[in-house]
Amino acid sequence: MATMLEISDLVVDIRSGRSTVRAVDGISLTLDPGRTLGLVGESGCGKSTTGLAVLGLLPAGGKVTRGSIRIDGHEIVGLREAEARAIRGRTVGVVFQDPMTALNPTQRIGAQVAEPLLIHGMANRSAAMKQAVDLLGEVGLSRPAAQAERFPHELSGGMRQRVMIALALICGPKLLVADEPTTALDVTTQDQILQLFDSLQQSRDMSILLITHDMGVVAGHTDEVAVMYAGRLAELATTHRLFGGYRHRYTEALLESIPTLDTPRGQRLATIAGLPPNLGGQLAPCRFAPRCAHAEQVCFDVEPQWSEQGEHGYACHLPRRTDADLMTESAGAPS
Amino acid sequence: MIAFLVRRLLQAVAVLFIVTIMVFILIHRLPGGPARAELGVQATPTAIASFNQQHGFDKSLWTQYWTWLSELLRGDLGYSFKENSTVSALLLDRLPKTALLAGVSVLVAVLLAIPLGVVQALRRNTIVDYVFTAVTFVLYSTPSFWLSLILVLVFSVNLGWVPAQAPQGSIGAVLSQPSGLVLPVATIALISVALYSRYMRSSTIDNLTQDYVRTARAKGAAISRILFRHVLRNAISPVLTLLGLSLPFILSGTLITERVFNYPGMGLLFYNAAVTQDYPVLLAVTLIVAVATVAGSVFADICYALLDPRVRYAHA
Ligand SMILES: Nc1ncnc2c1ncn2[C@@H]1O[C@H](COP(=O)(O)OP(=O)(O)O)[C@@H](O)[C@H]1O
Ligand code: SF4
Ligand SMILES: [Mg+2]
Repeated sequence: MATMLEISDLVVDIRSGRSTVRAVDGISLTLDPGRTLGLVGESGCGKSTTGLAVLGLLPAGGKVTRGSIRIDGHEIVGLREAEARAIRGRTVGVVFQDPMTALNPTQRIGAQVAEPLLIHGMANRSAAMKQAVDLLGEVGLSRPAAQAERFPHELSGGMRQRVMIALALICGPKLLVADEPTTALDVTTQDQILQLFDSLQQSRDMSILLITHDMGVVAGHTDEVAVMYAGRLAELATTHRLFGGYRHRYTEALLESIPTLDTPRGQRLATIAGLPPNLGGQLAPCRFAPRCAHAEQVCFDVEPQWSEQGEHGYACHLPRRTDADLMTESAGAPS
Repeated sequence: MIAFLVRRLLQAVAVLFIVTIMVFILIHRLPGGPARAELGVQATPTAIASFNQQHGFDKSLWTQYWTWLSELLRGDLGYSFKENSTVSALLLDRLPKTALLAGVSVLVAVLLAIPLGVVQALRRNTIVDYVFTAVTFVLYSTPSFWLSLILVLVFSVNLGWVPAQAPQGSIGAVLSQPSGLVLPVATIALISVALYSRYMRSSTIDNLTQDYVRTARAKGAAISRILFRHVLRNAISPVLTLLGLSLPFILSGTLITERVFNYPGMGLLFYNAAVTQDYPVLLAVTLIVAVATVAGSVFADICYALLDPRVRYAHA
């Protein structure tokens, strides 16, 4: 089976004014058809930039300096604008974080959802409107024909995000990039939207690149996870393996910072001390070293290499020992 | 929307009421009162007294205001002894011509400003942007009489393309000779184009950086589609709003321009009235301009509400 999305050694530089930021620095990952890959990390780690590179929508001053992005086998790095446009909205759909601002405030919802069909010449106006109304119903809007006549501000945040999802899916893309699709929503709505993603994926057999800073979202709604830190990949594994035996100390820190049911009320959440580094400045060989509770001298001297066992890869000098490690150690058996 | 309209119109009526009081006070603050204004400084006290009695100026202020206001509402703006005509007849003849001049000029200015602002926004901070900004600002800060003189010199004296004199007579006569409108319209349009293009530029830039534009790009839309289907409509509404608010600026532009081209509109009427101290006319024109200003701001609000569904429904 061909991979749906294959990113290899992707480097993205963003120039603003005189300084250049390497927002993505050598990321490689693959996403198979019908699967969901969670791209997780704190804010400012290059997740959105990776997603935008996949869409060919890097911000002004941004460019892919190296590497390749293949969608369904087709290279998209270096495409001319017209060629990139033919893919956007048709082969790849996108859902952005803030449904309040992502929709045109002065255009009716139905027209906004139907527009990609018109852009890509896939339907005439009336057929497009009909499809839009049907899809609005499918993503969970009641009385979709009436809702299609309304303006974005007349809908709640959750409903707007459903509209955004319909808009992203109307051309039947094989790949959906969802950049923090639930971050701007309240907890109950978050859950409903994530369930909608799950069911849409089942019925439409598409691949989803789910960008989030929330390990809780990753745990329940992805097949694979890529943990990103400061433009680099820290750890990559199937979701099952990652939660069963994460190795990277950054993954560990992220997981320790999510609230659990037995976190006493009022107790401060354990967050990772400090902030991710400024990608335009000097970076330690292990980029996480200045904030890592386990860092040793080697972390400040030598860049940790990527090591892979089966389908689990990470780059850490002093990885967390898994339960399996501990068992082998206590049995005294050589590994 | 209806409730919004009604409330906005009621506000306007209240403002206009205050305007009538102020104009009325202006009449009564004239040195020597309206009698001396009409009869001249040489008038004898007896003449003044009989004038005052004849016109009801000996009654209480409140009664006078009430009489004046009810006459005003019936369309009676007084009598101009200088022009030997009722003021309302004068205005009825002049106002449409000024409205024509101002309307066509604003239309031309906006039709120039919208594409100009969009091009500047798309090419922002490039040489094209800077040149357009410089040119429109120089025009904006040029005194209108000077600009009109240059236009006359170039286009009617040197090139002989268009007449330097506006056609005289009724609005029909003006309309039957549109070439006479070219230079007055050009003057006002060129002076005010910066006003609108500046707004268009910044509101287009503002809209181009909005998330919804990124969504449109993610749909695969080309830049032309993004502009025409999404950005323009949102970017134009502040400009249309400004249109209403810029009415006083435009009317003061017509005042000078009408004088230079001897265009028989309200501006020229006002100018002549100022020279001959024709108070009833001056006050009537002041009142008209005040009404136009209030109407312009109502227009601005209504435009805004019609173009932006968020406002339209918030006030529904
Ligand atoms: N438009 C931009 N101009 C300049 N720098 C940017 C821009 N967008 C992102 N960056 C930089 O790229 C880095 C990664 O940002 P981003 O991809 O948005 O991270 P994330 O989505 O993980 O929060 C950040 O250091 C940020 O400062
Ligand atoms: S390499 Fe060192 S500093 Fe980096 S995450 Fe691993 S232990 Fe921490
Ligand atoms: Mg982001």
